[in-house]
Order: sequence, then structure tokens, then C-alpha cells
Amino acid sequence: MNAPSIKFRRDDGWTFIEATISIVIMAIMVLGLTIVLLAFREQLDRSWAVRVMDQYGNDVIEQLTHELRNATDVEVRGGVGNTSRIDVKYLDPIRHDIFRTSNWRADLRNVRITHGNNDLVDPSFPPRQMGQGESYEIIQFTLSQYAADSPNEWERQDRNRRKQSFLDAAYDIRFKLRYIRKPTEIGGRTWSVEKEFFNRVYVRNKNLIVKKGITD
Amino acid sequence: MKCLNSKWRDDAGSIDFIQIVVGLLIVAIAAVGTFQALNFGNDKMNQQMRYRKAMSIARSYVEYWQGRIHTDFDDKDPRVIQGNLNQSVDPTVLDLGDPTTDADDVMCYVRYGRLDPIDLLETGLGVDYWRINVKVTWWEPGTPRNPDYEQSVIFTGTMVSAGL
Repeated sequence: MNAPSIKFRRDDGWTFIEATISIVIMAIMVLGLTIVLLAFREQLDRSWAVRVMDQYGNDVIEQLTHELRNATDVEVRGGVGNTSRIDVKYLDPIRHDIFRTSNWRADLRNVRITHGNNDLVDPSFPPRQMGQGESYEIIQFTLSQYAADSPNEWERQDRNRRKQSFLDAAYDIRFKLRYIRKPTEIGGRTWSVEKEFFNRVYVRNKNLIVKKGITD
Repeated sequence: MKCLNSKWRDDAGSIDFIQIVVGLLIVAIAAVGTFQALNFGNDKMNQQMRYRKAMSIARSYVEYWQGRIHTDFDDKDPRVIQGNLNQSVDPTVLDLGDPTTDADDVMCYVRYGRLDPIDLLETGLGVDYWRINVKVTWWEPGTPRNPDYEQSVIFTGTMVSAGL
């Protein structure tokens, strides 16, 4: 007696219905995959741009913080837009009896922060080959006294309780960058993201004798 | 017996409907798995960015207390004796996200305990320096607001007082 068998496969070829359904399913899958891939590519491009911006912002803040920690004096002047020109004065590391000055400023047109002798913090920013509609902007680059422009109410009130020697040596660095992605097709929306990079620095040497120089 | 006959290679070599559907199903499952993995990696990188920002916020608070200890210090100040653990603290923005909406903002909370006076017992000066501990806590987007999912960063610094 033959065992009962279930036939999943036929050797008679394709029927019209099977062929039509197969083509419809494949077309839907290809369309779906294409849409998902395009959306994911857009997501990855945005993600990459934000990480590039985050890396640059952190680089600027860290380098300026490092210079301020070793500085003997700081002078802040107004710059273009919401930016400051920061002159950081420090002892020459080789000859301890002379002072050098490092000038930090924001170049809004080229979206760069320069210091020293027009040296760039990161020559690779902004990226040379950006996609259509992509751009970066420097919104803010300021050095202000402790809590002078803080959004925190407690810090603004605390400022009135502090001694002048503290206020003269405690600074807030604020660096704000914006990444804009304009639409490439008609009817699309502009997407943007803003990041603020902040550090509070206490310039120790302003309250130490070393600010007068070291003489042998 | 005929039921034991293998029928792997008795057709003309073409694919049939069931094989097409099974193949497409496999491709769909692989695609979903791949995109889930890519999303997971992207979320982890965002978490790293927030962690780095939290470290920066913690360090800024340590700098504040280092400046205070150096220039403007009262060791009887309640904030020195007990920190701000028992006070409500305004949240600080950790990740602004889309500037057009506040719904995706990630906020963090900054706390610090008592400033610890350290006496090395070798110098005879009494308090040789002060130790500061700052803790920043936040919750990642999409996680419940309970201690099990709390993320935190602790930053420690030291400073000598102005008398030295």
C-alpha cells in the first residue's frame, strides 16, 4: 500500500495565477526594500554629519579649555555675530620670562575656529565634499564670565554671591553649531540639528603669583 | 516503497511558486534583521555622544568648586557640608536633538555630595586639599524612569585652598 503523500511541488510548470502573484509579491518587496534603503541612507547621512559636528565641537572646546587652564590671563573682545575674540596669554614654555598670546576667533564664512597664527583646530572640518543642500553654521562662540549668560536661574543668582577674584577667573565657553540639510526634491522639508558645547573653566594662574612670570 | 524515494532531481530544473515565496521570505527576514542591527549600532553611538556630554557637564561642576575652594570658600557653607543631595535640582539639557521640538530632549541631573577635607598628616597644615565628587544622571530615550535604567557618570577632582 502506498503511504499517503502531500505534493508541494508540481512538475507541470507555472500557471498564470502563480506567475502573476509571484511578480506582484516581488514588485512589492523590491519597492519596499528600495524605500527602506533610501530612508536608511538618509538616516546614515544625517547621523554621520551630526557625529562629525559633535567631534569638531568637542575638539574646539577641549583645546580652548586646555589653553585656558595653563593661561595666565585672558582678554575677551566682541567678534562678528554672536562670537567673541579671545586672547589667551600664557608663559612661553621654553623661556619662562616672556608671555605669548594665542588669539581665538570664529570664521563664520568658512565655518571654522582659528587660533594662534590662524591655525585651524581641525583642518578636515567642515568636510570638503558635502552633499547637495548640506551646510554647517556657527551660531555661537563665546567666552563669558561665570554664569553671565547661563540659562540656569540658580547660577545667575549665585553669581551675585561670589567674590570678584572668583568671577574674574571663572569662565564659561559656549560653542553652538548647526547642521542644515535642505531638501533635494520639490516639496521636501529642511532638516536641521543644533548642538551646544559647553565647558566651565577656572583659570587658576590668574590668582597665583605665576601670572607675573618666572624669573631665575 | 515509493514513499521513500527521493525526489530532489526529477524536474526540468526550474523554480516553482513555493520556492519563490520561501526565497522572498528569507530575504525579507534577513533585511529586517540587518536594519535592526544597524539601528542598534546607531543608538549605541548616540548613547556614547550623550555619555561624553555628561562627562563634560560633570567636569564643569568640578571646575566651579575648584575655583570656589581656591578663591571664595567657606567650609561652614551648607552646600560644602552636605552638597546638594537634598535639594531639588534644575535639569540640564544633555541632548537637544531636533531644535523645533522639545519632545526629544534628553535632560540630566547634577548632584554632588559633601566636599571632603583630606589631611595627609605629613604636612602639619591641617586640611591639605579638598576632594569633590560630582554625579550626573540621566535616562536614555525610550527607557522607563526607574533606578534600574538610570545612566550615570561620576567625576572626581581635588583642589587646594587659597591659604596654601
